[in-house]
Amino acid sequence: MADEARPTVLDVERQLKYWKMCLRSPLPEVYQSNEANRLALAYFIINSITILTPPTADRHTLEPIISPAERKQLRQWVLSHQHPGGGFSGSTSLVFPLATYDEWDFEAGSRALEHSGLANIAATVFALQLLALLADDGNPGVAFRGVDRVRTLRWLRRLQRDDGSFGEVLRYLPTRGWFIAGGYDMRYCYVATLIRWMLRGNVKEGEPGWVEDFDTERLAQYILRSQTYDGGFAGRASVEPHAGYAYCAISALSLLDRPIENSISSHPSNILHTGIRDKSTLTHWLASRQFVYLQPSSGDSDVDEEDEVNFTLPNSLADLSLDDNLRYVGFNGRCNKVADTCYCWWVGAALYTLDEAELISWEPSRRFLLEKMQHRIGGFGKHPGSPPDLYHACFGLAILAVMGEKGLQPLDSSLAVPIETVRTIEAARRQLLDAEKEDSKTNVLARSALQMGLNLAGKKPAWLTDVSV
Amino acid sequence: MPPKGKAAPKPKASEAKATQPSSSKKQPAANTPPATIAELSQLRLDESRPFDAVRRKQGLSALSRDEQTTWYAARFARQPAHARNRVPIKTQRELWRQVNEASIGLRALRDHTTKWGLAASPVVTSGGDVGGLSIEAFGEWSERRLRLTALEVASRAFRERRERARRGETEGKDRVVVTETDVDDEKERRREMAEVRQKLYGVVTGRFALDPEWDDVVPIPHEEPDGALAVIAYPAEYAEAISYLRAVMASKEYSDRCLRLTETIIEMNPAHYTVWLYRAAIIQALKLSIPYEMEWLNKVALDNLKNYQIWHHRHLLVDSYYPTIAEDAEATKEFGAAEQAFLTRILAEDAKNYHVWSYRSYLVDKLGMWDDPGELAAVEDLIDADVRNNSAWSHRFFLVFSHPARSTPGVAATEPDPAAPSEIVDREVSYAKDKIVLAPQNQSPWNYLRGVLVKGGRKLAEAEEFSSQFVVGLGEGGGREEVTSTHALDLLAEIYAEKGDKERADLCLRRLGEKWDRIRVGYWEWRRKCLN
Repeated sequence: MADEARPTVLDVERQLKYWKMCLRSPLPEVYQSNEANRLALAYFIINSITILTPPTADRHTLEPIISPAERKQLRQWVLSHQHPGGGFSGSTSLVFPLATYDEWDFEAGSRALEHSGLANIAATVFALQLLALLADDGNPGVAFRGVDRVRTLRWLRRLQRDDGSFGEVLRYLPTRGWFIAGGYDMRYCYVATLIRWMLRGNVKEGEPGWVEDFDTERLAQYILRSQTYDGGFAGRASVEPHAGYAYCAISALSLLDRPIENSISSHPSNILHTGIRDKSTLTHWLASRQFVYLQPSSGDSDVDEEDEVNFTLPNSLADLSLDDNLRYVGFNGRCNKVADTCYCWWVGAALYTLDEAELISWEPSRRFLLEKMQHRIGGFGKHPGSPPDLYHACFGLAILAVMGEKGLQPLDSSLAVPIETVRTIEAARRQLLDAEKEDSKTNVLARSALQMGLNLAGKKPAWLTDVSV
Repeated sequence: MPPKGKAAPKPKASEAKATQPSSSKKQPAANTPPATIAELSQLRLDESRPFDAVRRKQGLSALSRDEQTTWYAARFARQPAHARNRVPIKTQRELWRQVNEASIGLRALRDHTTKWGLAASPVVTSGGDVGGLSIEAFGEWSERRLRLTALEVASRAFRERRERARRGETEGKDRVVVTETDVDDEKERRREMAEVRQKLYGVVTGRFALDPEWDDVVPIPHEEPDGALAVIAYPAEYAEAISYLRAVMASKEYSDRCLRLTETIIEMNPAHYTVWLYRAAIIQALKLSIPYEMEWLNKVALDNLKNYQIWHHRHLLVDSYYPTIAEDAEATKEFGAAEQAFLTRILAEDAKNYHVWSYRSYLVDKLGMWDDPGELAAVEDLIDADVRNNSAWSHRFFLVFSHPARSTPGVAATEPDPAAPSEIVDREVSYAKDKIVLAPQNQSPWNYLRGVLVKGGRKLAEAEEFSSQFVVGLGEGGGREEVTSTHALDLLAEIYAEKGDKERADLCLRRLGEKWDRIRVGYWEWRRKCLN
């Protein structure tokens, strides 16, 4: 029970304590089901620590939580997940020794690639976010050094289905041939736009570093078609709308035409504001995700029945109009479902990206997060009283950061990393592209030197035999 | 060796003094019998090197001057010949004289005999050192070692025999064969070896290493590089299984044993996306029975309700199975009915399971179950059981309004569709109204009602009278205003706006923000602004 007199504050120290524990010690066996998605877990940890340590004056006087040497080592670890054919795997257990790939032909997509299903679209975005989050303070531009930009973008293109949607992995199946695996899941569409925004840049066709884009128009149409009769978004319009998918749809649309540089101020996304068929119903659906959290009656407070405990219905509507009941307001992900920490993020951040965050009453939801979901040992749980876990703890912090909670780094609602990190991504992309231009210049120089040698000697000089014209 | 012909004389009683250092009598430890094997070997060592024992325990100064000379002479004598020869011959002779006089045993034990190495911690108490075993326990331990060696020899013989059989070698006239009994014996042997190894060294042998079937696979264990994040403390069995998975995936093996391997891993981690895809590939490559696989999958799905990959796998199975029965209407119907039965069963566990509903809509579309009465009945049963089951409401909308015979391709869910038959729209409107009356504050049927009206191209005003029954005395003071459904008020606001009655619409929205739905006051105020 919350003490009425105590002001509601985020206990930054306690939160940091939880995250330091997650950073330093092995995760318990309950996380075994995430073994194939370890980069996601790593992102939750590093993103949260970054959110909790804003670049204020004392960050430079105090010992940093992750030292520069450690950052470098962690970046190497992230890069060790990169697949030789582009993209990243979710776990080191899915990375084969390099010799295994010897006979593979990545460009031709030959059958030797049967197991290129080891690179995963979600793991790839987590890897890129992690590299940016782990950049050196003094030299953010090197964050993406080592990323195979061209191969990753080409691999991304191959993950797009004919209907415009994206799958998560490529797999060769004996009777189907090349197959884009993964359900009809708006998350993959969102992630595809994120990877594209982080890596592609404004390169014109014919210029060095140019990679053919995926079909953005078709993707936009796919997303826009997935709006459901009640205004929300699902993986397809034939399924129940879900706040997570609504967030992904909205963020993906906004990323499709987000400026490549100086992107941190909100941009008037064309597709987002004019493309959505029924925008007012979407807003209605998002706003409806908030509901008053009523304390479960004392008798069943120990029950952890997911669907019952925090979905107590009022006896009459008049009961809800009392001030006291405004104290805690939760969010659910679907109509008539229970409150869950992560939906504060999925719904809140979606509205923020739509520039409609002021439509919801944040204060009672903030109180709900801090008093009901924040755990004694730090972090946030899924439901009131649940133990904290990486996923809910990260997104609990993330939405507080989007909504401007004091002591936290402001967060970009569609890139899901701090705004500082967005600047890092822009710098890292620039440097990656510059390096590719530099490389191609060297090639041009070598070629013209060779041509000169040929003209002079009439044949290829011996010392140039390795260079092909 | 001492020079020939100068054999050491038998020690005399007077000389015996010198061979037993005077100070050793001060050692009470020598009187208690040794408790462990390490103590026993130390005792033996000390007996064979009496002066060393004193020096080790008390230092060189504890020995008398004569004793020191003898100790040094003994050291000299135990050195190999080439080392001894570095000393001038004269000195050598003198030293040999002393050795002979002291009658020192030259065949002393060497010091490293006391180092026993490690054993399984349950066996010994003193930090895992075998030396800590009691003399009796050591006997047992040695016997186990012998047993293990014998088993290892037999196991190696089995492997060699199997290899010979593989090469088609003969034994006299007969071909070398490995029978099933041989394999069973080997399995039993390895089980025993694992048990003995565990007892001896505390080492756990994984189930794949125990199984002769997997001998030809060299597992690719995964090594965690320095500075790894999010390390998960998973059990050793999981790590072993994954190392075999990596090996067979790298060699692109599609076989029955690989199928079983995927099952083992799925049991431990059903969220492992790669292993599911690999399983799908094996099923296709070996042309295994899909209905059989689905039966197995049913059990896994019921055990792991929240899992995503299981449903994707089911999806893939149907994708490859359906074309084989598509021509046969009866078989398709039967398959659809079996799937419906399973869906009913799993929805009884969790009626709002997102993956299940997502699969269900895919199945309806794939199998063309639009006119299957069982489908609509299943949805109605679930809505009757819980009128707030929004998943069921969503499925109903899809089932009714995406029917290819009464929908226009390309028309979005939020748009009116001229192909939607009027009587169906009427039927759905009254279905929603019936359910609203049961629980007016339940948003699901309200959303459904509005969605149906839009889809049918109807005016929202068709629901004005119905909605008004939940709102009494709007805007009237003195406690006369009574609202039993905020969703009615919400829809009425839209209806009035549609009719051009901005004032009344504004009143609805204002009262929602002021009293009936205060948490959304920001939203209702925004709606008020939108009226103008």
